[in-house]
Amino acid sequence: MKERVLVAMSGGVDSSVAAALLVEQGYDVVGATMKLFCYGDEIVDRPCCSLDSIDDARRVCETLGVPHYVLNLESAFSHDVIDDFVSEYARGRTPIPCVRCNTFTKFRDLVRRADGVDARWIATGHYARVVDGVLHRGADRDKDQSYFLWGIDRAVLSRMLLPVGHRTKAQTRAVAHRLGLAVVAEKPESQDICFVPDGDHAKVIRSRLGADASSLAPGAFVLSDGAVVGRHDGHARFTIGQRRGLPGGFPTPMFVTAIRPADRAVVIGPREELLGSGLVAREVNWLAAPPAVGTRLHVQVRHRAPAAAAEVVRLEAGEIELALDEPVSAITPGQSAVFYDGDRVLGGGFIESAARAMLPVVA
Amino acid sequence: MPAPVYLDHSATTPVRPEVLEAMQPFFGPRFGNPSSIHRWGREARVALDEARERVARCLGAHPDEICFTSGGTESDNLAVLGAWRAGRARGRRAVVTTPIEHKAVLEAAHTAAREGADERLVAMTADGVADAASFDALVRDDVAVASVMWVNNEMGAIQPVPEFAALAHERGAVFHTDAVQAFSKVHIDAAAVPFDILSISGHKIGAPKGVGALFLRRGTAIEPLFHGGSQDRGRRPGTENVAYAVALATAAELALRDHDAEGRRLAALRDRLQQLLVARIPDLVVNARHAPRAPHILNVSVPGTESESLLMALDLQGIACSGGSACQSGTASPSYVLSAIGVPPHLASAAIRMSLGALTDDAAVDRVADVFPRLVAKARGVAAA
Repeated sequence: MKERVLVAMSGGVDSSVAAALLVEQGYDVVGATMKLFCYGDEIVDRPCCSLDSIDDARRVCETLGVPHYVLNLESAFSHDVIDDFVSEYARGRTPIPCVRCNTFTKFRDLVRRADGVDARWIATGHYARVVDGVLHRGADRDKDQSYFLWGIDRAVLSRMLLPVGHRTKAQTRAVAHRLGLAVVAEKPESQDICFVPDGDHAKVIRSRLGADASSLAPGAFVLSDGAVVGRHDGHARFTIGQRRGLPGGFPTPMFVTAIRPADRAVVIGPREELLGSGLVAREVNWLAAPPAVGTRLHVQVRHRAPAAAAEVVRLEAGEIELALDEPVSAITPGQSAVFYDGDRVLGGGFIESAARAMLPVVA
Repeated sequence: MPAPVYLDHSATTPVRPEVLEAMQPFFGPRFGNPSSIHRWGREARVALDEARERVARCLGAHPDEICFTSGGTESDNLAVLGAWRAGRARGRRAVVTTPIEHKAVLEAAHTAAREGADERLVAMTADGVADAASFDALVRDDVAVASVMWVNNEMGAIQPVPEFAALAHERGAVFHTDAVQAFSKVHIDAAAVPFDILSISGHKIGAPKGVGALFLRRGTAIEPLFHGGSQDRGRRPGTENVAYAVALATAAELALRDHDAEGRRLAALRDRLQQLLVARIPDLVVNARHAPRAPHILNVSVPGTESESLLMALDLQGIACSGGSACQSGTASPSYVLSAIGVPPHLASAAIRMSLGALTDDAAVDRVADVFPRLVAKARGVAAA
């Protein structure tokens, strides 16, 4: 039997197939489902992260003939991921909790658990690949999840197995059918953030900070010249580039271009005001040798956004500044900037600010 | 891999072969409904009555004082809520219990509180025993029911049930004891100890899951939880589960027959396991070590470890133990029982309960004494990293 691998299993098709493939390859598989937050009554129908999903993961492991455990990581997850999620909104940013979950929960806390059971390897159902110790995009570009993995400890790469990363989703489902994992084979995709029921993140903020949270308090819609053009019911309900929920009556489509928590203002403007010519990112983590100033690379500023050509103009302790070859729309503080060289993931950071491509024209 | 070791008898036990055999006819030829007037009904009724008599004998009770239930949880709910609701009707307004009870008692007490009861929790000593002075102070003449378990399911600590039962009686309160872990481990005699209600469960003593019983002393008023027919004097409507009643009676008799010898055997195994573990892990904490303890439970906390990871590592070595109370999803969380007796959080979340029983022998003790210290050393290495 090959070495032991701890497989993080959500009860979904990807991680189930990951476990099944590793069993097939002869690994000593131990399945683990992380319990990350309290499962209230309100989320019974969710395809992921509910008790049903834990049961599904357990059934898959039973089918595979491997042990399965439920790991309670609630308090660490609450601190590392949910608290941060709430405070990012309070700062007028749009958080990306999946990155922090991968960084802290899956590839730090879970790795500790793997150590505890002598598991040489840690596996997940992510669509990404580790090739010669370097993280790469998943082969299925529609499913690629490398964007969420930039923050992990580089040393963990040598222990990661991502068995579905070189497959397409359709192939993964086919494997599930072939291996008799009917329980999970046709499960719908989970799109939302696991701890945010029905995509209603205001509910999470309210439950953490109370109904009078500042980020949920009414404020003004303003134009970039300062003109007040309406009222909103909480800046946390908005993100850069959003069109929904804005006041009407403008000659061109309007978008959220900035969020100012200090005076609870949501700044709106035409499409041109969304364009950024560069960005600053912080908490930068490298999964390859750090580049030098002047290095050319590609940067992706949102999940599923195309990577844009850029040049490193400044690089200092944990912070990077990039100049973009062509302006990029809706560069959003709090989201990740992930640096690529082709399919190779070089590293990433949290977007701190965008350099505006175009100053607003004041009439 | 060496033979697996099952050290979780307080969670559940295998059905004894004699029990399985005794219940078989009631799935086949003797399938009748005990309430029916015909021959099939009579046959079932006789078996049910005999089972009731046999369980009564095991507890020093009268047959009419035995009520069959679906298990420990129903027994505890019927006892606490039934006695609270009956007591409320005659003007009593409080419920007294301890913070180390099984959730079946605690949640029933919380339900009573939502129905208007003043819920009072007895203080615990650091040894793991309910404090007598606190009980005395809380059980005033306004108490409907006081419920104190006989043997705690996590620590094995024996509670002063005889004294508490007598004191509750002086104050006119109904006294209930959850004896799910105590039955066949401590001597129970309804003629000698004045408890009014007592719960037992089948699957802890070699009967199947899904059957239990309540001893209900003559003259003790309870309101039923279920409403329906007049089965079991209306205390527990619903067609009786004859096969399981027979199973419970058979298991109870066998457990009592073996009580003395098995108690000595388990105590010796438990003591040896404890000595070996303490010798090999010098800072190991034996929880409730100063309390009188039932012979089958050893609860230990190892500083610098976490029960969830240790239980996983033990299972991967083929050794089954448990931690604190298990939640629905199967995760372990810090034990509320240990927290309630003042065990600090880092030890309450490191607790491992080893519970011995029919499947435990010297080889099992040796194996655990060999493997557990190695896993602890490993876990501490990881925690320190």
